[in-house]
This record gives sequence, structure tokens and C-alpha cells, in this order.
Amino acid sequence: MLQMQGRSATTGQNRAAGGAAVSIRNLCKRYNNFEAVVPTSVEIDSGDFFAIIGPSGSGKSTLLGMIAGYIDPTAGQIMVGGRDIIPEPIYRRNIGMVFQNYALFPHLSVAQNVAYPLKIRGIAKDEIAKRVRESLAMVRLEAFASRMPSELSGGQQQRIALARASIYRPSILLMDEPLGALDKNLRDEMQEEIKRFQQELGATVIYVTHDQQEAAFLADRIAIMRDGAMTQIGSPRSLYEQPSSRFVAEFLGEASIFPVKSVSQKQAGQPCQIVLEDGTRAAIRTDGNPGSGRFACIRPERVTVGPKARGLDNVYTGIVRESLYTPGSIRYRVELDGTGCALKVRVLPQGNTEVFETGSSVDVGWSADDMTILGE
Amino acid sequence: MSVPEKKLWAAWSRFLNGLVGALLIGFLVPILVVVAVSFQSKSYLSFPPTEFSLRWYQQFIGNDDYRSAILNSMLIGASAAALATIAGISTALAVVRAKVPGSTIVSALSVAPAILPQIVLAIGLFPISVWLGLQGTLWAVILAHAVIGLPFPFITVCGALASYSNRIEIASMTLGANSFQTFRLITFPMIRPAVIAGFIFAFAASLDELVLALFLSSPSTRTLPLLLWEQLNFQVTPEIAAAATVILAVTSLLILAATLLPRLGKDN
Repeated sequence: MLQMQGRSATTGQNRAAGGAAVSIRNLCKRYNNFEAVVPTSVEIDSGDFFAIIGPSGSGKSTLLGMIAGYIDPTAGQIMVGGRDIIPEPIYRRNIGMVFQNYALFPHLSVAQNVAYPLKIRGIAKDEIAKRVRESLAMVRLEAFASRMPSELSGGQQQRIALARASIYRPSILLMDEPLGALDKNLRDEMQEEIKRFQQELGATVIYVTHDQQEAAFLADRIAIMRDGAMTQIGSPRSLYEQPSSRFVAEFLGEASIFPVKSVSQKQAGQPCQIVLEDGTRAAIRTDGNPGSGRFACIRPERVTVGPKARGLDNVYTGIVRESLYTPGSIRYRVELDGTGCALKVRVLPQGNTEVFETGSSVDVGWSADDMTILGE
Repeated sequence: MSVPEKKLWAAWSRFLNGLVGALLIGFLVPILVVVAVSFQSKSYLSFPPTEFSLRWYQQFIGNDDYRSAILNSMLIGASAAALATIAGISTALAVVRAKVPGSTIVSALSVAPAILPQIVLAIGLFPISVWLGLQGTLWAVILAHAVIGLPFPFITVCGALASYSNRIEIASMTLGANSFQTFRLITFPMIRPAVIAGFIFAFAASLDELVLALFLSSPSTRTLPLLLWEQLNFQVTPEIAAAATVILAVTSLLILAATLLPRLGKDN
């Protein structure tokens, strides 16, 4: 108990100073000849909601397991409150963890599940009862205290797991695909619940998911993992608008991507001219040096369709090959004349928006600011 | 499905029903004969019994040899089952949870005593028990019976551990419980029905075991099956049938308990 008080005091200092809650240094995990996580360094600020996304097998769960303590790293450090926690056993790390399948104790009631970490810490009975009540109120399940976990729905079970993982005020809260087992509507509802919970608690959260929309909704910062490495870290907006690679651009949201043949020299204030592999020319404005870029990328909602496209920096004509009305948006696949390039377009319809049928000829265009240039 | 094919299946299923029925009768009838024979007054094994009597039970209860044999059997059974259960839980944890190197071999070895001929074990254990100076003591039989009891708690606990994810135990540890607390508060309550069942089966296995007892015990550590065996060689009276009926009753009660107790545990 003494230890826990000491730890939460440290967290308080961190928060006041706005310093890093977790500082991962050259952390890596190798299984025989397979590198699950290549040496990775990242700082996560106190109070941050940090999401790690990536396809399955990209190493995101392994990374989380090393922070929690149930996977032994091959090398590296995990600094929490100025100390490396790797030598500490899992039960002394004072880290909260929420699992995909809730991992509630089936033989204990809801209240006993939530009380468990306090009971382990030898806290007095009436203090436990009080904090369990508060914690269950936070996840709005006070009325369920005496139920067994098996009597609750998936979403309710996950809220209990959330209460249980946070009742001892851990310095960090880890979540491993916590909504992965829920259906779509419940997932949306739980996202809001988790966001509200994290803000009320002021907790530092590290959140693993393969769902990019979930990550973008919840996180302050997102790390995208690929083949055991974090390829890019940034806010949801910066990752979407300035992806560094084709992989990131395609993983986060939709994109039309074209191979680039050559790029003109950058001139101050002027857009660069690029030539695509198929000979198409395009104008692009970029802050960085586009010379090394191998792909040009345009997001579907940045493309204008119809007469309004004329006069933009990049204007082409094409034929609508696919026209799809989905709730809230109209999606097209446009085949550009001459080259046959496929362009993805998404339009948010307003009252007077014209819908183009499959087979119709259209003008498409976009601003030089909206096109980005990417590496592999 | 064509009509002749249907008839073929119907005939096959009738055959299987008949086979199972015949085997169950073949198993139950001798048991019923022993029970029936024990409740009569004639001084030899006569069947069918003509008059009901508790004479042989009175003689059985008054017999000091039987009384000490029952006591030995209970003591050996309980100790052997306790040892087997502790070993079975540990081995199951090592195999299912820790996945120790060579866990396939470990589980094969843990199940082997239930499959291998006990006579081989007995022949091998005899010189070892002499060498260790245990020959003729209760310990010799207790350890031997712990070996043949091991498969039962091992198998039941393995099944229980495999039925839920180790995430539950990892969760307990992230919440601050060390390995021992996790075992006491989470793992053990979850596998308790399997532990109880395994213990009872190991106890029952010890209670009617003859071959190892024959090799390893002395007149003072004689178990009930061993005494029955000796009596059979000496003179066959319905007293033996009475003793056999008592073993049968106790074992049946144990098996009933093994099926019912775990269910009671689950409701709590």
C-alpha cells in the first residue's frame, strides 16, 4: 500500500510537470530469427491517449505485453516515473490493463472483481467498499454490483474491466483491442464511454487496435506499426494529411495512389511539377523536399467532380465506372481518360449536389495543396 | 438417403444398442450377485440366496483383521490421493500454463500409470522400497498408490485449465497479485471442481488396488483388498462377500460424490 501511494505521488509530479509518463528506449523483442518488435523508442506524455495501430502481426500487442510485463523484452528500457520497470515483476508495475476478452474473474461477483486489486493491496474493508461504489458509478453500473460477470453483456463486462483496471489509480492504463469482441453499434457507444472515462480519470492510456477509425476518434497521438517498427507517429490529423509513406496513407483512410516517374526542382512559393509513370502531369505543393518521393497521393474527399473542378490546379476528364450512394456520402470510381488510372472520389452531398451515374463523362480536379508525395 | 441404406443404419444402431446393453449387464450382474450373496445365512457362497441375514456383516464388523485393514486402506487412500492431487495440479500447471520444454513427455508420463501394467510397476518398486528401507511400512504403499492415482487429478485439472484462457491469470497479476496470490484467489477456485473429482478418483483407485499392495505391504499394513485376497486363498465364506460389498458401497459413494460435488461448487 505504501508502495502504491509512493507511485501515485510520482505520477502527480509527472502530470504537474507535463513530462513523459512512459519513455520507451530501444525496446525490442526477438523470437529465434523473427523480430516481433525492432528496437523502438517513443515518449508518451502524461495524460496522453496514445493509440498503436497496425495490421495483425505488426508487433503492437507484443509491445503492449512488454509494457504490462507478461512478455520479456530482448533488450531496451521502459522508463516509468524515471525508473526502468523491466526488472520489476508484472505484479509490482502498478499498470492497469484491459483485455480484449475482458478477463473478468468468472467466480467473483462484479463488486468482488472491482475490489480485487484493493484487496490484494491490503486496503481496509470499508475503504474498499467506498471506492468500489465510486468506481462502479463512474462506469454507470452501480446497480450491477452483486451480479456475476456471466450475467452481463459484452459492453457491460468491458466497463467492469475498465473499473477494475483503474480503481487502484495505476500510472498507466493499457488496453489491448478492448472493443474487438463487440458489435459495431456497441463499439461506437463504448468509444465515447472510454474517451469520457479517460478524461475524467486524467489517465495515460496506451491503446492497441487494428481499427483506424477507433484510433482516430480516441487518440491524441497514433503510432502506426508495420513489421515490428513504428513507421510514423503523430496526431490523427497529421497522419492523415501528411502520411510519410504509401503504407500509412493506405492504412489510415482511403487514398488514390499513383507511382511517380520524376519531380521538378522545388522553387520557392511555386508548386512542383511531377510526372507520373503513365505520363500524366500534376502540380503539387509540399513543405519538404519531394525529390525522394515515389508515390503521389490524393484523398477521395479532396477531389471535386463536375463543372466546379475546372479552374483547379489539377484538372482531368474521366468516365464514372462506379457510383455508390452510402448514408452520408456518394462514392465514385472514375477512370481517367487516356491513362485509365482509377481515382477514388467521395462527395458529401448537399441539397443540390448532382449525382453522376455510371458511364457518364465528368471533369475531376483538385488543388496542388491537397496532393501529397510519399515514400514506399 | 436410399431406403436400403436407411435400413442398414437402423440395423447397425440396433446392434450398437444391444452391445452396450450386454456389456452393462455383464458388468452389473456379478456385482449384484456378490451383494445378494452377502445378505444370506448359509456358510458358503450360495446363489440365489434363500433367506435374508446380516450374519456375515456382524462377523465382518467383529473381525479385528478387517477393522485394521479398513483403517489402513482409508489412511493409505487419503494420503496417496492427497499426494497425487498436489503432484497432479503442479504437473498440469507446468504442462498447460507454463508449457515447459518437453511437456508432451511430461503429460505422457503422468498418464502412463493408468495405462501401463501395474505388475511391472510393482516388480520395479519392490527392490526400490527395500533399498529405501520403506518395505513393509505404510509409506511404501502410499507412495506407490500416489503414482497410480496421479493420472486422475492430472487429467481433470488439465481439462479445467484448458477450459479458460491464461489471460485471467495475467489479469490477476497486472492487478497486483503475485503468483501465489493468483493461484490461491483465482486459479484454485476455478479448478476446484476438477481438483475434488481428481482427488476422489485417486482415492477410489487406491481403495481397490491389489497388485502393488501385494508386493509392498506387510501383515501390519495390509489393505482391505489384500486381506480379501488372502481370505479367498484360505477359505471362501460370505464374509468376503460382505467385505466386498462394503468396498463397493464406499467406492460407489465416492464416484457419486465426484460427479455431484463439483456441480455444487459451481453453483456457489
